[in-house]
Amino acid sequence: MIELGALALRLALVAAVYAVLAAVAGARLRRTDVVASSRAAAYAVNGLVVVATAVLLRALLQHDFSLEYVAAYSSSTLPTQYVAAALWGGQQGSLLFWTLLLTTMSTLVHLQNRDRNQALMPYVTTTLMTTAIFFLALTVFVTDPFERLPVPAREGADLNPLLQNYWMMIHPPSLYLGYVGCSVPFAFGMAALVTGRLGDVWIRTTRRWTLFAWFFLTIGNLLGARWAYEVLGWGGYWAWDPVENAAFMPWLACTAFLHSVMIQEKRNMLKMWNMVLVLLTFTLTIFGTFLTRGGVVSSVHSFTQSGLGPFFIGFLGVVIAVSVALLYLRRPLLRSENEIDSFLSREGAFLFNNLLLVGIAFATFWGTVFPVISEAVRGIKITVGPPFFNKVNTPLGLALLFMIGVGPVIAWRRSTARNLRRNFTIPIVAGVLTGVALLGAGLVGNYYAIVCFSLAAFVIATIVLEFYRGTRARQALMGEPPATALVHLVNKNRRRYGGYIIHVGVVLAFVGIAASAAFRVEEQRTMRAGDTVEVGGFALTYKGMRQADNPHVASMLAEIEVARGGRVIATMFPEKRFYKRQQQPTTEVAMRTTWREDLYLVLGSYDQESGLMTLQAFINPLVIWIWIGGIVMVLGTVVSVLPTAAEQRALAAALAVEERGLAVWSE
Amino acid sequence: MSASQTDVEESLTCQCGCGLTVHACNHLQCPSRGPLQNEIAEQLALGKTKPEVLSYFAGKYGEKILAAPTTTGFNLIAWIMPFAVVFLAAVLIVVLTRRWRRPAPVVGPSTPADDDPELRARLDAELRGFDA
Repeated sequence: MIELGALALRLALVAAVYAVLAAVAGARLRRTDVVASSRAAAYAVNGLVVVATAVLLRALLQHDFSLEYVAAYSSSTLPTQYVAAALWGGQQGSLLFWTLLLTTMSTLVHLQNRDRNQALMPYVTTTLMTTAIFFLALTVFVTDPFERLPVPAREGADLNPLLQNYWMMIHPPSLYLGYVGCSVPFAFGMAALVTGRLGDVWIRTTRRWTLFAWFFLTIGNLLGARWAYEVLGWGGYWAWDPVENAAFMPWLACTAFLHSVMIQEKRNMLKMWNMVLVLLTFTLTIFGTFLTRGGVVSSVHSFTQSGLGPFFIGFLGVVIAVSVALLYLRRPLLRSENEIDSFLSREGAFLFNNLLLVGIAFATFWGTVFPVISEAVRGIKITVGPPFFNKVNTPLGLALLFMIGVGPVIAWRRSTARNLRRNFTIPIVAGVLTGVALLGAGLVGNYYAIVCFSLAAFVIATIVLEFYRGTRARQALMGEPPATALVHLVNKNRRRYGGYIIHVGVVLAFVGIAASAAFRVEEQRTMRAGDTVEVGGFALTYKGMRQADNPHVASMLAEIEVARGGRVIATMFPEKRFYKRQQQPTTEVAMRTTWREDLYLVLGSYDQESGLMTLQAFINPLVIWIWIGGIVMVLGTVVSVLPTAAEQRALAAALAVEERGLAVWSE
Repeated sequence: MSASQTDVEESLTCQCGCGLTVHACNHLQCPSRGPLQNEIAEQLALGKTKPEVLSYFAGKYGEKILAAPTTTGFNLIAWIMPFAVVFLAAVLIVVLTRRWRRPAPVVGPSTPADDDPELRARLDAELRGFDA
């Protein structure tokens, strides 16, 4: 059975190589039958990878410890859901899983475009399959998931306890879907460059794919933060760790791309820039995988060490060299068809939004790689940690928050003073009032946080105003009642109003991040049973220690009674676990979440003899709004991804022009 | 714990390999957090300021222990670069967009005649997009 998996991977590699060769040859020779065979080969690659993944999954579920991978990342006492999650818990499996997602998306792309984009598709196949070749070659030649142990192990070493958490079931797949999803717009971008069909067809065709990728990158980042918050137990959710940055950077580039394509669609500008952004997004996803898997930087999220680094660097080098060469060759065709009339315009605002997003991505990249640069130049190891990223990215992030308010409502081409007054008077007043009110309420000390709250009020006001005016207009025009008018308003232009909803989610996340970063309260105390400690209005009483034991884990739970204003409101159990198989202790945080704040308790240490227990207590204000913001972003994306008739017509029209061009071209 | 103790802890990297700051590291049996915390407290008790304590630690453990690069010498590049890049990019945007104002050359075979019905359809679609 294992041999079947190994064989499937090897055949998949061969099929992928064939797909690339046939796609290029078919396109060059204009042989539709050859192109069709490349498509068939791409389907075959997908099928074979599905087989390989199924074989590995089966080996995991059957506890086949003769397999090195199964023995290294699972055990017979590991709960079944985590056995399945071990598929992406280790290096070989995660690369195979990546390949599975990539080839499955390739199949979907080919099915979607069976009768469309005839000129682009061969090169889309080429790009996707070249990426597949890279990952397949890694799994076949470098880090084989089907490697046998010389002597089968009796028992597995188990999955890292930190990964035995439900967020871990969904965080990596989500992030991978995001990463891999970015390769679809990239593949179409490359195809557009190769064929010289640089209109907006490739952008309109991949809009949903880009949103899909962005959606999963967003969720992946948030779930990762949530996982860190719950599992790592240091009271925070983001530490600017290299692996966190690895997931954050493609998200920034993808966000910039999502915005700047709108300028190309509406105004035929920024063609070159959009190509650069799609290239940047894709390379950052590969770079992210490299950071996670390459073993170059140490990280709390990196659960593998390996010598894959050089292969990733090589692949990145090839991707960048080919793309830059293509960009250079196609330069004349990428020239803008329109000019920017004024910076006080939608185009101008989007340019600066792009500048800030890419600027934050660059700052994050720079901080992540600077230790390597420092060591190379000065021979001195240094650390670039949270203080650096917070100092550099906070002002850029606040400027971005401001642009979220400005971008969507400022007029296209050129804003008049009247337009500015109409759109921004109320929001500016709202922002200033919020700031003054907060200062008046005695919230001093962290001015960044206050600026953030003021800007949040400003942005929310612009959005509410948009919904209000739109609804009023429909009421007046169509005579609809307010609720109906609102629903129709959103329905008529889902992309725009979906975008506003996403922005609301982003603003909520900003507020949660600013509040929890600036106004966190914490206390560490060593206690004896019966002791009470006061933290930010809560009285925490240590009642005693409980113990629990099962074949997989032994745990100790501190019973903490939580009182507020003299009234007991909860009993919480911060926990220490000891995973027997891996001989590794872990911390299980106890959390009490409300709209206002999280009470976050960590059992630091416990000394059985003296009965002394060290408790860490954190009060993290408004953290829940980060996750709520995430849910709002999900809703907004769902709204904006649903197709509208107008958009279908726009794509059809663009395709018609393109096909006509194709007819001329092939004559 | 005084504010400045926390402040210093947040400026130093834990040496257990976790990559977190001394303040944030909560690895069980972390061999480095406790001793570092004590050492910070001792240094602060001597009446030293935060920069003095940090330079003491950098001297003793090497620059690697500082959670962020120093703001002198080569390390200054770490701090300046992000803002410099954003600033230069902003200048570039302004310069490039000025250049666009010159008429762009007409390129490509797909510039159909004005009376092309498909082009008309596309134009109408885009105009609708503008109005929406």
